[in-house]
Amino acid sequence: MKLRLSPQTLLVLDAFLVQAEAWKYGYDLSRATGLKSGTLYPILMRLAERELLETQWEAGEPGKPPRHMYRFTPDGLRFARSSVSAAASGGLGQVALGLISPDPVEF
Amino acid sequence: MGTPRNLAARLLRAVLRLAPEESRDWALATLRELDFIEGDWAALFWALGSAAAILRHAASGWRALLNRKSNKEAGMNNTGKKALGVGLGMLSALSLVGCALAGLRIISILFPGLEHSPWAYWLAVLAIPEAIFVAATVMLWRKRGPMAAGILAMALVVAMHVAVHLTLHW
Repeated sequence: MKLRLSPQTLLVLDAFLVQAEAWKYGYDLSRATGLKSGTLYPILMRLAERELLETQWEAGEPGKPPRHMYRFTPDGLRFARSSVSAAASGGLGQVALGLISPDPVEF
Repeated sequence: MGTPRNLAARLLRAVLRLAPEESRDWALATLRELDFIEGDWAALFWALGSAAAILRHAASGWRALLNRKSNKEAGMNNTGKKALGVGLGMLSALSLVGCALAGLRIISILFPGLEHSPWAYWLAVLAIPEAIFVAATVMLWRKRGPMAAGILAMALVVAMHVAVHLTLHW
């Protein structure tokens, strides 16, 4: 299934690329991208459903509720790098509109 | 805890209770993040957006479930249609047998001499209806298979009835 690369999705991919190996929290991503939860979470859900993102519950300290964390899978990292570089090379609008694919592989 | 944050927590807990299994992790994730949001109103807006996102996600799951159910129902309807076709075929054949018996009765009234003629009886009750059944079955087999099967079944029932009748009385 092909992922629709909206400008908001590109913002999320870009935010994940900062310290790509590190786990990230939903609220931190919301602040980094400026996206509201109603926009951010559907993007995270789509990325996770396509196995571009792995999710994990943080093993919190006793008495502290765990938080949900997100990180790119190897496929996700490749996809994000190619998408963001395609967007940066002037094709942001075209990528966002789905006119060009950032990667020959469909995710 | 201010009223807007309280409301936000209540909303997300309600969403968590309502969410189907596949959306529950996401609902819980948004609820947990609530503790890290600064500002009561920001928390409420976070909850509103999250609730909408979770409900949309859940709705897509429900749609998929409904589609699967619709496909099953379509299959059941197909079976129902086949059963109806067989029933209609049998009913048509039975009507023909009834018409044959009624015709025989009319003939016996109009031509009293034929009443005791066995060949007229067998022709009206067995030969003509059976010939019509076989012709109808052949004609309908490709386009209306279930109906043809119903007619054929009734033809067999009539033939067996005649066979039993002959065995017992002759």
